[in-house]
Amino acid sequence: MEIIIDGKKVEAQYGETILEAAKRNDVYIPTLCHSEALPGLATCRLCMVEIVENGVTKRVASCSYPIQSEIEVVTDNEKLRRIRKTLLKLYYTMAPNSEMIRKLMEQQDVREFNRCKVDTENKCTLCGLCVKACETMGTNAIYTVFRGAAKKVGTPFDEPSEPCIGCGACASVCPTNAIEYLEENGTRAIWGKTFKMVQCKACGKYFATEEEIAYLYQKLGDDIDIKKCETCRKKANANRFIAAIKAEGF
Amino acid sequence: MDLSQIKQETLVVASTYKPEPRFLLAVLQDIQRKYKYLPKQSLEVVSEYLDVPLTKVYGVVTFYKAFSLTPKGENIIKVCDGTACHIKGSMNLITEIKAVLGIDPGQTTADGKFSLEIVNCIGSCALAPVMMINESYYGKLTPAKLRAVLESYREGGMVDAK
Repeated sequence: MEIIIDGKKVEAQYGETILEAAKRNDVYIPTLCHSEALPGLATCRLCMVEIVENGVTKRVASCSYPIQSEIEVVTDNEKLRRIRKTLLKLYYTMAPNSEMIRKLMEQQDVREFNRCKVDTENKCTLCGLCVKACETMGTNAIYTVFRGAAKKVGTPFDEPSEPCIGCGACASVCPTNAIEYLEENGTRAIWGKTFKMVQCKACGKYFATEEEIAYLYQKLGDDIDIKKCETCRKKANANRFIAAIKAEGF
Repeated sequence: MDLSQIKQETLVVASTYKPEPRFLLAVLQDIQRKYKYLPKQSLEVVSEYLDVPLTKVYGVVTFYKAFSLTPKGENIIKVCDGTACHIKGSMNLITEIKAVLGIDPGQTTADGKFSLEIVNCIGSCALAPVMMINESYYGKLTPAKLRAVLESYREGGMVDAK
């Protein structure tokens, strides 16, 4: 089907999100809580766009709004800019030292905002992407706890979470790098637990925790190759591919 | 009370519901009513019985003010500090309770008889300033009336007037 984004006609699939269609057509929409691996969280609201559907104009979160008819999308206008600026000011008061927030502020032309007391220690915007990552992994080690101003991401009773396998998925998806972990001497410390790490069979780099590898074997069976780090796995596959096409006489 | 007893009793309470995640709140409320708080061991049992991850159970428990993770007194005093009660002097009640029982909001008396909480509104604004002790309401309170109510509970003979 055909939709219109910022006055331009573009192809879109039924059911895909506005953000997906926009990305494919090189239209930029700012996002904070969006991760391609875990799409549609829709908590940060920065990806708000204006659409006209069946003659009705409304503003929706483009990362989770599915395209179901030939809509018209506007990604940037005065009203949307104002919404984004307000959101970024609020995020700034929550996490003033986050690089990501500062980058977005600069990009959206938001000056530093001094009307509220800022928390200089905090980097978390409570988007919940880490919780979704942990849930998706099937580990369920962290969750949002408490409520209102006291709300935070944490483990039960603030104690080391028993199901945590130290995979670090939470930290790697975090848009503001708010989840702290420490890797040294072949260990990774995260959420109050310290894990022994496993070395890559090829390059020797510590790349995963023992618990994470055991968990993957348990879920996927023995036939998966997780003896090497991601880079070496890619390299090995590439070498196999080159050898194969050479053998075919290219 | 030893741990295995708490676990056993919790399972008995939980077993009145089907083992489905949607009964989480109902089960937690029943346990809270039984112990006046939610023991850690109970949460573990509930998590396993309803197949809800412990972290989610903990998230829910910390979300609602009605749940407590620390033991509460025999009688729970809830002083309303909604707009109407606030204007009618709910803070005077807090001061008076502190004078009589020696506890601040969130605390429990040393003898374990009373816990004090401030709540946002209990929906009885016409009775402002109002407080609840356990399931009973006490409205249009004055420091003198409040003293008398507390005294009657302290004697231990007061039965909840429904």
